[in-house]
Amino acid sequence: MAWFMGIDIGSGTSKGVITEDGRPVARHLLPSGGNYRATAQRLREELLARAGLSAEDIACTMTTGHTVNLPFATERVTDIRCCARGINSLFPSVRTVIDIQGMSSQVVRLSEKGQVTNFVVSERCAAGSGRFLDVIANVLRIDLADVGPISLKSRSAVTFTTGCAVFGESEAISRVSEGAAVEDILAGVHEALAEKVSALVARVGLEKDCAISGGGALNIGLAQSIERKLRIKLLVPPHPQFVNALGAAIIAEERSKVAASPRPETK
Amino acid sequence: MTGNIRVAGEQKQGLARAGQIYHDRDIRMRQLKAEGRKVLGYLDIYPVLEMLTALDLVPFGILGDIKEPISRADACLPTIVCPFLRSALDLGLKGRYDFLDGLVAAHTCEVGEKWAHIWRIYIDLPYIHYIDTPHTTHQSAREHLAVLLSDFQGTLESFTGAKLTPERLRRAIRMHNEQRALVRGLYDLRKPDPPLIAGTEVVQVLVALISLPVEEGNELLRQVIDEVKQRHDGPKKKPARLLLWGSVVDSTDLIAMIEDLEANVVMDDTFVGSRAYFSDVKLTDDPLEGLAEHYLVDIRNPRTFRETALDEANRKDYWADLESRHGYLKDYAREWNVNGVILQTLRYCDIQGYEVPGLKDYLEHIGLPCTYLEWNYSQAALSPLRTRVQAFLEVIG
Repeated sequence: MAWFMGIDIGSGTSKGVITEDGRPVARHLLPSGGNYRATAQRLREELLARAGLSAEDIACTMTTGHTVNLPFATERVTDIRCCARGINSLFPSVRTVIDIQGMSSQVVRLSEKGQVTNFVVSERCAAGSGRFLDVIANVLRIDLADVGPISLKSRSAVTFTTGCAVFGESEAISRVSEGAAVEDILAGVHEALAEKVSALVARVGLEKDCAISGGGALNIGLAQSIERKLRIKLLVPPHPQFVNALGAAIIAEERSKVAASPRPETK
Repeated sequence: MTGNIRVAGEQKQGLARAGQIYHDRDIRMRQLKAEGRKVLGYLDIYPVLEMLTALDLVPFGILGDIKEPISRADACLPTIVCPFLRSALDLGLKGRYDFLDGLVAAHTCEVGEKWAHIWRIYIDLPYIHYIDTPHTTHQSAREHLAVLLSDFQGTLESFTGAKLTPERLRRAIRMHNEQRALVRGLYDLRKPDPPLIAGTEVVQVLVALISLPVEEGNELLRQVIDEVKQRHDGPKKKPARLLLWGSVVDSTDLIAMIEDLEANVVMDDTFVGSRAYFSDVKLTDDPLEGLAEHYLVDIRNPRTFRETALDEANRKDYWADLESRHGYLKDYAREWNVNGVILQTLRYCDIQGYEVPGLKDYLEHIGLPCTYLEWNYSQAALSPLRTRVQAFLEVIG
């Protein structure tokens, strides 16, 4: 029996998945903290414990995200490729995936085999990323997990003139001082983020089916805003923040199969 | 003997010498100054270097430094302009170019124009000349540039006290044309698979070229070409053979990041890269006419608006227009066997940035995969780009 591990070190949280025959059998998440190497090590140990496995049981480990050279990893692969592989294993019909991460967002186009055919990544700043939501939640003194559900109560979303996390913070403070309702501010933030995301989608083109992944996909308000903006129904995986780690584990499995396959005989 | 220059007490040749000058750009300039030569700094590829060489002036290409944080320039230039120009001015203000006797700038872009005037205000030099190079290729624009070059000739003659005769100018044009031919010979070494010379090595050689008098640069090129042809430890074969297009690439860092992955950068269309070298100056009866033709028409660069060569009936044919403007890149891709293009522009580089949407359309139209990177001219900005390049390499297989 062979198991495979994928480790995704994100800017906010780090995720790990163990697969067996392409199916996830264990997952684990930790805050990334300030020492990614130590976090990766701890994540691996706790993930193995959850799965009831030892390090020797893992045939191959792939890492992605903000990874450094980890002694237990076979190779580092891009989060774009991991996203495509991960979502393909969950939703084979998906050809476009919107990945809302902590510090950036990306839109990946993929083939029926889960190969990346095109991609675009948000530019340089936190605009259009989960970090924007962090900043606004902090201003409004609410828990990040409550942002989505609260926003659904909005009847008149505040219009944000910026998608920039820094200017967005001061704009949110201005709206608070004007007496805008919290749910309307949050709904406005989601609209601003959805605008940024839809601009990314337009750059690579939208092909159905379309899925959303990453921590941002946990936010029901944001997902619905993107659906309205793109006029489509998004597929949401059961554990969207683990998609890239899952993809990394699947790539590890594929790599092992290629390495194990016999070389064709030369004539 | 120009090929045996002693640098920092140690004689180097070929690639080693190029690397040494790349890392220590002013060393030869300071030696020449000590010998009584005058050194004129210049920016980008539009100052007409042949006219400097003809008067025994030494041209020195002003560059930025992505490892040096920009600080003093922020007092003179807004932060929302080209970071390369901000960096170049910053180095000037910090005394990095204190060996210069003068400066020649030309209208490469709007910020470049302001940059030249701001340099004039803040950095006092005995000689400064600005060439207001037109941005179209009409006959009237060519004639106007020839007049501007005549003005340039006048200020150079006043500065040096020497007469710029047509014979001297033709001799200098031949020397610079020889350099162009040698650079094309250097680029021929990138055509095999694997290329015989790495993209990072080419950058080092080209930066060394703009840090040396033209005759010494030509000698360096001959040494490098001979050395590369004979060595057996060149770059490894990799699946991706890339063309790098766009804004200034004046350090090895960006290409090193790309070549650290499964790719060789085998061709470019950039400054400090091929742009200045892939066409020769014609030797016309009035040398200034040939120079005007070359700098305005022959050099392919987004800063010059090239009206479509199509007739009136086909003028609005988008794809034919793109072919007319970018067809040379298809030739590059074929000759250098390129299978992917990286379009890179510096943040706020409008001149190159405006070209990107149409160029992407064109490359996709001819079946050449491309990706677009916008970056901020700093080492820190390179790290996030690595993931994008890696993903692009995965896409092109």
